[in-house]
This record gives sequence, structure tokens and C-alpha cells, in this order.
Amino acid sequence: MKKLTLAAIVGLGLMSGSALAASAWTGGDDLPTSPLACDGTPAAAVAKPYDGGVPTNPPDRKGKKITVVDVPKLIGIGYFNATSKGIAGAAAELGNVDAKTDGPTKANIDEQITFIDNYITSGVDGILFAANDPVAIAPVLKKALEKGINVVGYDANSTPDARQWFVNQAQFNGIAKSLVDNMAKEAGEDAGVAIVTSTFTTPNQARWIAEMAAYAAQCHPKMKWLETVEAQEDNNLSFNQATTLINKYGDDLKGIFGMTSVATPASAEAVTQAGKCGKIAVVGLATPNAMKPYVEKDCVKSVVLWNPVDLGYAAMQVLRAVADGTLQPGATSVKAGKLGDLQVINGSEILLGSPYTFTKENIGQFDF
Amino acid sequence: MSGAAFSPGRSNLQRFLSGYGQEIVVLLSIAALFAVVGAVNPRFLSDTNINSIFAGNAYIAIAAIGMSMIIMAGHIDVSVGALIGVIATIAGTLAVKGYPIWMAWSVPIIFAIAVNAAVGTLVAYTRIPSIVVTLGMLSILKGGLISATQGEWITNMPAEFMIAQMRPFGIPSAVWFMVALTIIAALFLRYTDFGRSIYAVGGNMEAARAAGINPERTVIGVFALHGLFAGIAGILFATQLQVIQSTVPPNLELTIITASVIGGVSILGGTGTVIGSTLAAILFACIGSALIFLNVSAYWLRAVLGLMILATVLADMVRRRRDK
Amino acid sequence: MTAAKLFRHETILAALTVIAMIVLASLSDKFFTAENLLNQGRLMAEVGLISLAMTFVIVTGGIDLSVGSILGLTAILLGVFWKNLGLPLPAAILLAMVCGTFAGFVNGLIITRFSVPPLIATLATLALYRGLAEGISEARSVRGYPEWFFFFGQGEVLGVPFQLWVLGIATAIAAVILGLTPFGRATYATGANEVAARFSGIRVNAAKLWIYTASGFCAALAAVIFVSRVTTTRSDMGTGLELDAITAVVLGGTSIFGGRGTIIGTALGLILIQALKNGLALSGVKGDGTIVVIGLVLIGAILVGALFDRNRGG
Repeated sequence: MKKLTLAAIVGLGLMSGSALAASAWTGGDDLPTSPLACDGTPAAAVAKPYDGGVPTNPPDRKGKKITVVDVPKLIGIGYFNATSKGIAGAAAELGNVDAKTDGPTKANIDEQITFIDNYITSGVDGILFAANDPVAIAPVLKKALEKGINVVGYDANSTPDARQWFVNQAQFNGIAKSLVDNMAKEAGEDAGVAIVTSTFTTPNQARWIAEMAAYAAQCHPKMKWLETVEAQEDNNLSFNQATTLINKYGDDLKGIFGMTSVATPASAEAVTQAGKCGKIAVVGLATPNAMKPYVEKDCVKSVVLWNPVDLGYAAMQVLRAVADGTLQPGATSVKAGKLGDLQVINGSEILLGSPYTFTKENIGQFDF
Repeated sequence: MSGAAFSPGRSNLQRFLSGYGQEIVVLLSIAALFAVVGAVNPRFLSDTNINSIFAGNAYIAIAAIGMSMIIMAGHIDVSVGALIGVIATIAGTLAVKGYPIWMAWSVPIIFAIAVNAAVGTLVAYTRIPSIVVTLGMLSILKGGLISATQGEWITNMPAEFMIAQMRPFGIPSAVWFMVALTIIAALFLRYTDFGRSIYAVGGNMEAARAAGINPERTVIGVFALHGLFAGIAGILFATQLQVIQSTVPPNLELTIITASVIGGVSILGGTGTVIGSTLAAILFACIGSALIFLNVSAYWLRAVLGLMILATVLADMVRRRRDK
Repeated sequence: MTAAKLFRHETILAALTVIAMIVLASLSDKFFTAENLLNQGRLMAEVGLISLAMTFVIVTGGIDLSVGSILGLTAILLGVFWKNLGLPLPAAILLAMVCGTFAGFVNGLIITRFSVPPLIATLATLALYRGLAEGISEARSVRGYPEWFFFFGQGEVLGVPFQLWVLGIATAIAAVILGLTPFGRATYATGANEVAARFSGIRVNAAKLWIYTASGFCAALAAVIFVSRVTTTRSDMGTGLELDAITAVVLGGTSIFGGRGTIIGTALGLILIQALKNGLALSGVKGDGTIVVIGLVLIGAILVGALFDRNRGG
């Protein structure tokens, strides 16, 4: 009986959690959430059959030289510059891959589709992508699969059947837990927090915010979400928005979440210029180089991110493995060069690892 | 019409009101905004908040001064956002590479003047509409910047390079620049021959020629001047934060053009003042901040902003009609 | 005005397009294939439809910066009417298109009734319509449309993409209206000299109102095709589309000051840009290089046109 009641409460809690997530924190999406346990006990992995797509009659590419194009969400920003470096690095290491990165100059679904379409026509062997929209990109990726092209995603997924594999940098609920736990530790359990994100339509950010809301409701119920503001991927706008939040809430604001590698350093800068270091915690996703000044000045204590260079590297390795036929549906792990064996999750995703937290002690060791 | 509608038989006040009508509308809007939002949340009126609104957006106001002159002369520049991105990148690169600070400040500004003088030359002598030349320039600058930098961030700039973060007499230097440049530009437009020739060329090119003005030279000059203002705006933009993104700031040209036209610069050329455009840039910055203070749902923010722009424009049109 | 004079810019542009095609075809054997060209037709349909109406707008001496936002708003409304209000999909499509057209009508109303310059009016509605799209959708996507709906964006009729038929028919209609009807002449007259047009009895305001409404309609039609092609709706759809359309129209020789321009020119401008984007990508030029080339071609083509004008004493 006790067990049943407990199960019912947990179930109800989960349901209300997911129901709330749709509207609790502005900027979150309305997909179901799956917050991790508060103490970090990993959820039992549910074995899921392969749900990725299959290319139609691909030629035998085993060991042969292949041409690969990488189409990120947009080019000309630091993050995708780093993944592109990883891809080039892996291609050089493999020796039998001719890889290049090309894409739109703004995160625009239409332009990204046009780029992929052009590369399908030009006859590449493999496509790597980071989707601006999981559904919008699906038709053109399916077209690629129909032409026998190997398709692997990284950073931002498409619908599973539109690509073969997706290299997942870190699970959404893992990132959410890491961010919220760090915030609670630095700003206090009952802190008032605000979020600076890119745009509400960016799928990854919307997913993280929804998972953060769900996890906070479950594990840090006293944390008070105040507001979410949009700041594109623009440094100066992010700074202005974060400054406005600081001015608006005064002492009620104890922490700012930065949801992009642009928003986090800009928020840290806003806190620094407002002279609020130590009073307002900044926790967020960011690359170490941009955060070093703030971490070294003790203005920011923890920065969460995976290594984008490794992410690109892994994506390239996975694509080669798929082309060689060494990675087949049903596999449980894949060999990814110097990164070792990476685990397969959720049917057709390859997990890069747990999100990494950079602190004052270790941030000096990273350069990207 | 600003500055031109002097008719006999009206009191000084009336004359003043019709001469600076749009500036007064914008100024009143700013005052009303401060009153309303301040009543809801007094923190809006704190000196830190007002300082951040002004300092954070001064570069837009400064770029809008140059843009206003361009529009007064009957032209437009849609590449200014891309140019500011390029200037910031050049300035940051020079500063990090260890060149003297004065070079890191002045070389990009000279570059901006040169680029815009070239645009002005094309526009003046080939009669290609400025929107075409600057649309093309937008593509060239944007593509060129991405090819050159791949979006590599610039960090670790020397502290003495960060001019926008300096605070002479407790007020951010960006605000000093905004105020000083607005006053200088306003005086320049009113009291120099070249300044007046800008209005003349924008009003009627052939009439200006008949009056002894060389319209080609005026157009080139005004583009070069616009380059100077864009250059200064770019340096302030670059030195506001510890990081330069090396990309084209999204939609910056639209913000700048909107500030100019809302500030009372007629898109048909020939009229307008730069005081109006600076006030309009401040108004926009205030609206952006005020909507957050008023807890307008973030999803509806842009719709409200659009409505407010539309309301300002319609109010101005109604006022002009009544003035006629 | 002789035909030769009228088509001068178009002739240069046509020659340029042919040269570009030959060069691109020699750079990549994948370029000049029926499959690739038809596919490019599919990709340029949305910008194409909007450019047609934009030609009329610019010929009157106006501009419409809000088309990208109207596209986004129509897309969002389509999704909301269907999913949230539970209307049958055909009704939702129709109603959303009515709303998009109405958005264009509102532009026209602001421009004609309040005599707000088009640039300012549509700059304001650019923000307003995009804002409405964001607010109504709360930035959420609507997905899961039935299979038949994808025909508009992904289907083919007689081996030619559906939207290419739409674009072709729309181009023919637009060319006839602008080139051969009294309405077309009214459009040119309005752009050449609005006051004179008024005095000669042309109902300038009515013409403008129709044209901005048509611009809204074309953006709405493009929205339906776009949603069908990408199978989802997002509030940021069509961002920046206005500049693409204006570039095509201006490259096509339409004067930004009004009074001059043709649909054929716009069509050529569209084809040249799309061919460059596609052909350069196929021959290994990256995206950032391609936009530099397009910028140079835009200035170059207009420059050559202007020089020809001058040599003939025009």
C-alpha cells in the first residue's frame, strides 16, 4: 500500500512536473520532460531498438576515401568553429576523409536546407549536420538517405528517422541538473533566478529550459524563477538584457543562467560592470576561453559545457564508422579514435559523455 | 516640416513647436515612459539603470547621426551594421596584436571613412541608387568578415583600449561621445555651408546644382562623414565588453535606420535633425528596458515594440497634417 | 520609348545569366541537369512569389519590408488555426491566407490613409507582424501535418515541382498585369510622378492599396508552400526574406525610385541569384564566398546598366 501511494505521488509529481514545464519557465518547450533524480542516481537505461534511418543502397565505402560536408546551424561563430576544428582534426587523423564545413551565415532553417540540398546534388558521401529545427530539416535529410548518403547529426538533433546516428554532447536532463544544482549551491536554495537565452525558437535552449524547470520543481522547489529574456546570439544585446535584469530586480536577483556560449560571458560581464560579483551568481553554458577572466576574478564559479572540439571529432569518427559498416544498428558502443569507446543510448544516439563543469582549479587546462 | 516651416504671423512658441515637432513628440514619449515605468518600479529611475540604458545604446545613437545625414541627402545605407561588425573586428585585432592603442582606434575609423567614400563615389557618379550599392556592400562585408575570421572571438584586449568602459566625471564615455557628437553634428548641419548643402541636395538635386552646390562632392562628403560616425560607433561597440564576436550584429542596420526616421528625418530627404535621431535611439533603448520592467510577456515584447513604433509614426503624421 | 530601350537592362541581365550558366556548367557537371534545375526552382519559389509583388511595390516608388514577417505570421496562424482551434486543415490554410493578405491590406491602409512613407510603415509592421507571430505561438512549433498537405511544397505535377507551376503561372499573370493592362500603366504612372498621375485621373491610392494587399497575399501563399516544404511552423520563418526579394527585384532593373521595371527583369534577377548560389556551391565555393560574389554581381550588373544608359545619352 505504502509503495503504491509512493508510486502514485511520484507519478503525480512527474505528471504535474511535465504539465508545469510547458508553462512554468518562459522559453521552455512543451515536450515531456524527464528530470533526473536529485541525488544523481542514473535512471535505469531503457533498451530501445535502433530508430534511426537507413540509406538506400549506399555504395561500398569501406576503407575508401570519402568526401564529407559538415553543415552546422550557422558558420562564423566560435562554437561551430570549434566543432569544425574537431571534424577537420578527425579527418586528418583518419587520412581517408575529405571534410569541409559550409553553412548559412545566420541560424536560418531555409538556408540550411538549401545548403544541404546543394551538397546532395554535388554528390558527397557523407553529411554531418547540427539542425536549426528537428522537423524542418527532416525532408532534405531523408532525401540524402534515399541517395545513399551517410547522415550523422551532432549538437542539435533531427527526427530520428531522418538520419542514421546522432552524437549527443550530453543529455538534456543531465545539463539541466548540472546547471540547477550549481546555481542552488552558489546562490542558495531559495534564490531568485533569471535566464538569458538566445531565442525562444532555438530547440536545444528551449529543451534545456523545460528540463531545468522540471528538475528545479522536483529537487530545488524553493528556487524562484523570475524571468527569461531573449538576446539572440548577440554579445551586446545579451549584456544589455542581463544589465536590465540586474537593475530591475536589485537584491531579489541572486543568479543568472546563461543558456548560450554568448549569453554566459555577457551576463558575467554585466554582473562585473554592475559591481555585483559575489552577490549574483552566473551559471551557464560557455566555452572556457571566454570565461577565464571571470572565473579567475572569482566572479563566476562554475561553467558547464562539453568540449565542442571533441563533439566534432566524435561526429566525424562516427560517420567514418558508419561508412565503413563497422557501426551497425543494434550496436551498443562505437570506437571513436582517441576518445575511446562511446556508448549508444536511446536507440540511435551516441553519448559523448557527461557535461563537464569548469572551475577555477581546472579552467586553465583548456584552450577552446 | 522641421526647420523649414517658418511662416509669418505665428508666435515664437508655435514656430518652435512646428520647427522641432518630432523632437518634442519623442522627448515627451521618453518623459511619459520614465513617469509611467518609474511609478510601477522605481528602480527604473535609478541612476545605474539610466546610465546603463544610455551607455549600452550610445553607439546606436551615434551611428544614427551619420545615417540621418545620409537620409537627409536623399540616400540610405543598409550595410552599416555589417560595417560596424568589421570595424570592431579590425580594432580588436590591432589591439590584441600589440599595435599602439591610437592606431587600434584610428585605423578602423579611417577604413570606415574610405569604404563609405567609395560607396559615395559610386552613388554620386554612376547614379546607382544607394540602396543597391549598400545592399551589395552588405554582402561583401559580411561574407568577407566571415571568411577572414570564421567567427573567432577576440579576447584579452588591453585595458587602456576599452574606451567605452572609461568613465570621465562618473559618466560612461559612450554617453559623452553621444552628447558631444550630437551637438557638433547639429551645429555643423545648421551653420556650415557643407551642412546646409546636405539638406539642399536631399531636397532637390538639380535646384542645389543651380544654386552653385556640387551635388556629387556633397554626396561623397556625406557618405564619408557617415563613415566617420559609423567608425566611432564601431569603436564604442568594440570596447563595451571584454569579447568581440567578429560577426555582423543582427538587425543593427534596421535599428539604426528606424532611429533616424522616427527621429523626424524624412525618408524623402531634405529635412530632419540629428537631435531627433539621437532622442529616438534613446527612446528605443528606454522602450526595450521598460518592457522588461513592466513585465510584458517576453513572447509579446516585439509585438508591443512594433505597435509603439507604429503609434509614434502615426502620431507624427497626424501632427504634420494639422500643422499644414 | 522603343522596346529596345525598355528591355536594355533586361538584355544585359539575360546575357549575364547565360554567361553565368555556361561558366557554372563548365565548373560542375552536376549543375546543368534537369533534376538540379527543377530542384532549384523548388527552392526559389517562395522568394520568387514575393519578388513578383515586390516588383509592383517598387515600381510605385514604395517598398515592403514586412513580407518576411507576414510569411512568419501566416505560417504560425495556419498551425494555430489547425492545431489549437481544431479547424479542418483546408479551412485553416484559407483563413491564414486571408489574415496574411489582410496584413498586407493594413500596410496599404497605413501608407495611403495616413500618408506614412512605405519604408517607415513597413519597418514598423515588420516588427509588429513578427511580434504577433512570436506572441501567438509562444515560440512553439506546430508539427504533424497530414501527408496530403506536403504536396504543395514537395509534390510534383508532370515531373515539375508543384510550386514551380505556381511560380510560373504567377509570373505570367504578373507580367501581363504590369505590362499590358491599365492597372499596370497606373502602377508605372504612380511611380514616375505621383502628383501628375493623380491629376491625370489615376486613382493612385486605390492602386497602392491593391498592390500592398497583393504583396501580403503573395507572402501568405509563399508561407503555405514553405510550411508544406519544411513540414513545420516556426515564428522565425521568413526572417530576412525581404532583402532577398528586394535584391532580386533591383538586380532585375527595377528602379528603386519607381516608374521603371519589368517582371521579366525580376525573373531574370531571381534566376541569376539562385544559379549563382547553387552553381558556386556545386563547384566548391563556400557560402561566405558566394555572398561576396552576389554582392559584387549586384553592384556590377547595375553599374553596367547605368553606363549603357549614359552612353546612349539616357
